Formats: sequence, C-alpha cells, structure tokens
Amino acid sequence: MQHFVLEQALNFLIQNGSVNIKPLESKVIRFTLIDSLLEVNFICTNNRIFVTSDLSTPSDVDIKLKPGVFFALFKGEDLTELLRQDKIHIHGDVKTAQLLVDLLSEADIDLEELISHHTGDIIAHEIGKTAKKFKQIAKTSPNPIDALKDGLSELLISPKVSKQYANKNH
Amino acid sequence: MSVMILEITRANKPMDNTTHFGFKDVDTNDKQGLVRGVFDSVASKYDLMNDVLSFGAHRLWKRYTIASSNVKIGDKVLDIAGGTGDLAIEFRKKVGDSGQVILSDINAAMLGEGRKNLVNKGIFGVDYVQLNAQYLPFESDTFDCISIAFGLRNVTDKDQALREMHRILKPGGCLLILEFSKTDSELLKKFYDFYSFNVMPKLGGIIADDEESYQYLAESIRKHPDQETLKDMVLEAGFGFCEYHNLSGGIVALHKGIKT
Repeated sequence: MQHFVLEQALNFLIQNGSVNIKPLESKVIRFTLIDSLLEVNFICTNNRIFVTSDLSTPSDVDIKLKPGVFFALFKGEDLTELLRQDKIHIHGDVKTAQLLVDLLSEADIDLEELISHHTGDIIAHEIGKTAKKFKQIAKTSPNPIDALKDGLSELLISPKVSKQYANKNH
Repeated sequence: MSVMILEITRANKPMDNTTHFGFKDVDTNDKQGLVRGVFDSVASKYDLMNDVLSFGAHRLWKRYTIASSNVKIGDKVLDIAGGTGDLAIEFRKKVGDSGQVILSDINAAMLGEGRKNLVNKGIFGVDYVQLNAQYLPFESDTFDCISIAFGLRNVTDKDQALREMHRILKPGGCLLILEFSKTDSELLKKFYDFYSFNVMPKLGGIIADDEESYQYLAESIRKHPDQETLKDMVLEAGFGFCEYHNLSGGIVALHKGIKT
C-alpha cells in the first residue's frame, strides 16, 4: 500500500506538470527508512516514476535516513544541514538526492481524490484523511510510519474495529 | 476507428516439443488451436462468467492494474489478449485523443466481442488487431505500456511472448501481467481447489453451456508458473526490473516489468 500510494502521488504531480523530473531521467534511487519496513527503489524513466521493492539492480544514489529525519525533511528542514549533522546518509550524487527529496516534499496532494477511483469512496476518504495528517503524526508519534501503517491496516482489514467507525451509528 | 486483422501464426515453424493444455500434454503446434476452441466457445458469455466466477473481483483486479500502469495522456498502449476490452476502455480514457490504444487478441470471436462492447459503451478511437503474442507485428520501442490480463497462461511459448513484449516496449516502458497465481494460504488453497474443480465447471455448464472449457480454465491456472517463476521469466526476457503484487491472497498476481 505504501508503494502504491507513493507512486500514485508522485505520478499525479508529474502528470499535472507540478514537478519536472527530467533531471532525474534514467536514475535509480534507493530510499531506505532505517528501522522501518520501507526500502524501495525509485525508478525515474519515461517521464514517470515507478516505486518498486525489487532491489536487485544497482542504484545510482542511496539515501538512508531514520523516519524522524524523513519527517523533518517533510517539515522543511534543509537537506544540507541534515547531511552536516550526519542524520542522513547519501551515497552517490547529492544533487540527484536533493531533487528526489524536493519531489517527495511536494507530494502533499489530495490523495483522497486520487485513490477514490480505485478503493471506493469511504475507504479513500479515510486514507485521504490519514494522509493529510501525515505531517501531524510526525510531530506526535515516536514512530510515525508504524502509526500510519497500523491505522491503515486496521481500516482496510477490519474497518468495524477502526476508531474511524466508532460513531458510525450516531 | 480502424480495424486491422493480422493473423500471424507461423504454424510451419518446426516444433518437436509437447506442452500442456490444462493437465493434458499436447503437441506444441496444437495448443493454439485448442485454446482458440475454448475461447470461441465462451466468448459471448465471457463477461458474465467472469463476474459470476470471481464474484465481481476481476473488476477490482483490473482497476488495480490500470492504476499501477502510470499511463498518461499521449501514451501508446497495447492490450494483449484484451478480450472484451475492460482494460482498453480505461486505458483509452487515460491516454486521451493524443494517445493510442490497441486492443488485441488472438481469437477473432473475443476481439469481436471486445469491439462490440466498446462501441456499445461509446468508446471510439481504439484500434483492433488480431495477433499472436509470440509474434507481435510492431516496430521495436513503440509502446509506453503493454498489458496482458488472464492471457499469458494460454500462450504456448511464454518466453518468446515476453521477449516480443520487451522488444516493442520503449525504454522505460511498463509491462503489466495480471494472471491467476498461487496462494500460500493452506485454507484458501483448499477452498479454491474445491471451488475450481467442482463448482466452476458446473457453473460453466449451466451458464455458458460449456463445462469442459471451465475445466480447462481450472487446470490451466494450476499449470501456470507461480509468482517467483514468472518474475524470473520476465527478467530473463530482458526487463531491468520486475516485481509482483499478490491480490486476493495470491489467487491472482500482478507482475510489473520495466524495460530499462
């Protein structure tokens, strides 16, 4: 689900002309959130981005960081400063890494609208609300990725026990 | 709307091997005709049977496939074994008037059903090509996306077909293979086996008056390569990346290959 949502969000931005990924053309960027399950390759090709968990091919740039640092980037923290503080590890071209980070930080779009066609309106609405709270979660949770994942799992697999439906009869 | 009929069988190509047709071993040269017989028989009831047999889930699997394609305005898309055109309709909406969608199938009856279906839904601007997936009549580096949904298992030489798909995709192009696969869940497997071999053929007999074709369907699913094997085949065909996502517990899997 994480891959899917991320890929959809980024390509939505590209298709709407919000971002230009030409400088990233033909680049493979490995993105690892340390201590979480997220380790993916961003394959930038044919003017779109594929997000894949197939890590068998070598990447041009490796970015490794902790979830907290990831959310710091989301909140607008400067990449160079985080690099200087040794909070983020980049192997390869830093400029390429910066472009991807910029792209990810732009991905603050209406996911609810984007995915409603694929999942049904109610679930899309809830995922959309969750995604919009992404940055808020980062401020309050020690492990925001897990919090988000748990929330989504509960909602998708067992919606009746989800807090989102607690007052469904009221 | 243009219609092209390109029947490329190359039946004279020497082949001394056998292959499977369901659980039966048949001469490689005979499989294509046998599969054609199955789809000639079920073409008119194909959509109805899909809805009944999958409890409508095939529509969700196809939606996920479309969403995963990342197809956009202006793209060129080839839908192989496109049958009644479910995917082609959605691709046409995505590529717009500046793009191109080709709905193809080896079976004339299925292609006819697809064409009728699209016309009835007011979908125009799709090209129709009757073709064999092993010999794709297109120039190299042509398409942004190729899809094949529930078709690859019926192809006689899957490796050859995958190589052809790789050839005609542009660099950076995406191959999507939606196909029945293997579930890891023992409980689901038991239910699925019972359903496939006892219920599906009976329903095929009642609704489509063709129990045998749906027995073949169940058998062909069991003979199809599992997720990891198919992934290896895609990579072997030349794709730089391939990954798969299991749907409905692995009963179906979507393989996505990218030509680098």
